[in-house]
Amino acid sequence: MPFELPPITPNPVIDAYKPGIDMTLVRENLKLTPTERLEKLKRLVRGIDRLHADGKAFRETQQSQAADDSR
Amino acid sequence: MEEFRDIIQALTTHQVNGILIGGVAGALRGAHRPTRDVDWLYRRDPSNYAKIVEAVAPLSPYLRGAPPGLPFCFDEKTIAAGGNFTLTTTAGDLDLLATIAGGDYESLLDHSDLMRVFDCECRVLNLTTLIRVKRAAGRPKDFEAIAELERILEELDDE
Repeated sequence: MPFELPPITPNPVIDAYKPGIDMTLVRENLKLTPTERLEKLKRLVRGIDRLHADGKAFRETQQSQAADDSR
Repeated sequence: MEEFRDIIQALTTHQVNGILIGGVAGALRGAHRPTRDVDWLYRRDPSNYAKIVEAVAPLSPYLRGAPPGLPFCFDEKTIAAGGNFTLTTTAGDLDLLATIAGGDYESLLDHSDLMRVFDCECRVLNLTTLIRVKRAAGRPKDFEAIAELERILEELDDE
């Protein structure tokens, strides 16, 4: 089955995102080795997971306190 | 568990023919965007299925999102009968892909480079082709990621 890759032509939707890209973060990444880039990605993902866990724990505490207050 | 490392090391140590694509490939090309699954475009060939099983079976693969307890057997027969597999493993999420929008292993091999990652030699889709396959997929959720990759390409072209 033949595959066709689209050319990289201007796309207004994609282009609309470009001014919002923080290139300082990208430039820092480009200074790293490939392994360092994935180590950084791993830390980023773990940080997000910790925030999700903390947020969940906070919400559960709030719900528990609200339930106690209503008794 | 070491995210990304254990899966990449397993696949490369067992010499699985494949190309790293998707968000992890984007990160290797400089993108700063969280992703948690390894996307591996594998060569459709029985000898490669055997290597995939040797590499991935020890990581207890299971169909991501499927109810627990299904009789899922990750072996060469399953890979031959299937195509794209989205898996959970003990080392993180792994997408084993036979084809993607824009290509398969054979058609994209010449658009990849060998990169040294975690002390392994790993094939990674090049930046321009990463952008083009993401454009071919046409998923709105990718638009911001494509924009970032294109900004990286512009940045590197300016150097």
